[in-house]
Amino acid sequence: MRGTIPIWRRELAAYFRTPAGWIIMALFLVLAGGVFRYAVLEPGQPASLRAFFGLTWSLLLVLAPAISMRAFSEERRSGTLETLLTAPVAEAGVVAGKFLAALSFLCLMLAPTLAYVVVLAAVAEPDPGAVLAGYLGVVLLGMLYLSVGMLASAATSSQALAFLGPLCGLVALEIVRGQAGAFPPRVAEIVYAVSPSLRTLDFAKGVIDTAHVAFFLVTSFWFLAATTLLLHARRWR
Amino acid sequence: MIHVSQVSKWYGAHAALRGVSFEAPAGEVVGLLGPNGAGKTTTLRIITGFLAPSAGSVRVCGHDTVDQSLAARRCLGYLPEAAPLYPEMSVRGYLHFRGRLMSLRRGPRRAAVGRALARCDVADVAHRRIGQLSKGYRQRVGIAAALLHDPAVIVLDEPSSGLDPAQIRQMRGLMRELAQTHCVLVSSHVLPEVEQTCDRVVIITRGRVRAEGSPAGLIERVRHAAPYVVEARGEAPERVLRAVPGAARVAAEPAAPDGWQRLRLFAAPGAGDLREAIARTAAAAGLAVRELARPAPGLEQLFLSLLETDDDPGTGPAPAADAGGAA
Repeated sequence: MRGTIPIWRRELAAYFRTPAGWIIMALFLVLAGGVFRYAVLEPGQPASLRAFFGLTWSLLLVLAPAISMRAFSEERRSGTLETLLTAPVAEAGVVAGKFLAALSFLCLMLAPTLAYVVVLAAVAEPDPGAVLAGYLGVVLLGMLYLSVGMLASAATSSQALAFLGPLCGLVALEIVRGQAGAFPPRVAEIVYAVSPSLRTLDFAKGVIDTAHVAFFLVTSFWFLAATTLLLHARRWR
Repeated sequence: MIHVSQVSKWYGAHAALRGVSFEAPAGEVVGLLGPNGAGKTTTLRIITGFLAPSAGSVRVCGHDTVDQSLAARRCLGYLPEAAPLYPEMSVRGYLHFRGRLMSLRRGPRRAAVGRALARCDVADVAHRRIGQLSKGYRQRVGIAAALLHDPAVIVLDEPSSGLDPAQIRQMRGLMRELAQTHCVLVSSHVLPEVEQTCDRVVIITRGRVRAEGSPAGLIERVRHAAPYVVEARGEAPERVLRAVPGAARVAAEPAAPDGWQRLRLFAAPGAGDLREAIARTAAAAGLAVRELARPAPGLEQLFLSLLETDDDPGTGPAPAADAGGAA
């Protein structure tokens, strides 16, 4: 799509030119390092990164909105959205560029944790399938959360709202999922079906279910499509 | 190059623009003039495709800005109000980013960035971060980005804002130079700037075009409204001047302690040159006169007279456009 690659390059570089990007990355790596040292590397623990992936999925609830919040809100606040959307680029290209930059940042944030796999392999024999499936689960869950964050960021010029909106929505979904046992079975079934975190449990076991993969890809796509429509509708506001 | 046809824009119940029409051809600098809140920025945002009109249409280089938005935007270079830029980027990095958005390949892009840096006199800060630059520099970086891909149509919203007098003069020169081969549309509320830079002026108040034409032609329309200035001493100068044939109104300032008094005499429409009649009447009444002049009116005169007659509350029909309104 026209404009996607230059916008992806600019956005990804911007994460590393501002303190926010470094703070998000440092926060994640400190917490992940702590969990790896005290929950994975302890004698008697199984040779798996399940505790590390469990923490990462929970942290993504906070980190993904923190990564995506500036995508459009900052451009709207500073006025640069006007120069961007009057350039010959399609709205879909702008959304794709910003989303890919956020996803790339997430992957770069995860990259140093590959050292844990190396360390674990040196002291034990972890299941490579479970490790691969775990990382795939993190990336897919991150895609979904980032796409929700993109939509929130396109809807408001306030970065605080673009952060708190998806955070509250995703946490509320988790709380509802936790209480779903008390709901009528048909309602509980729907809640379980739309719960992203429930689907990640299979990835932790080393199972890559194509239904789960499709769920994450399709829902992310719809949130990004909604973001594109929102940007397009802004011209007629 | 730019063809604006019966464009209206509604924000809810508020009409920001009502039936705005005008054209901006190649080879001209067209000035969009109006008080704050008149609809200048909304007009420019519709022309550049940032907003869609509620009614009417805009064509840029023959492309409709809604149906052929990408093609229209490809021929446009736009500097929005307050020159929004990414503060964390370097000047050169930002221009290269804009070049990539315009699909300029590496070689032509490097050449275009070099030309734009030199043309807008920002080559000396090419490696600096935009956030560290003064407002004048940021403004010129924004203009460099608008010119980068050598667009056929250049739209600048308040381009002189934040520039010092030397830079403003340089900006005027740049606009005149660009107008030789491009269509340049500039919005401003700085009247002398528009008067000196633009070949044609479109005056907007309350979302309507109230007057359109060359600065000289528009000024000619208010020439009759420009008052004669008389400085006189003697018996009741105000009463004497009111008796001048063709005088419509006389406004007098308080007399100085030495008896000299400044008066402004407004002529009735079609009264012709009254300087000789004023001199004769004053002499006949025994008034001493040490100044008699009729300062040339400027766009400011026209602008103010349009604002004075603009009693339209916002929903009624356009007032009779004695100044040639194209609404």
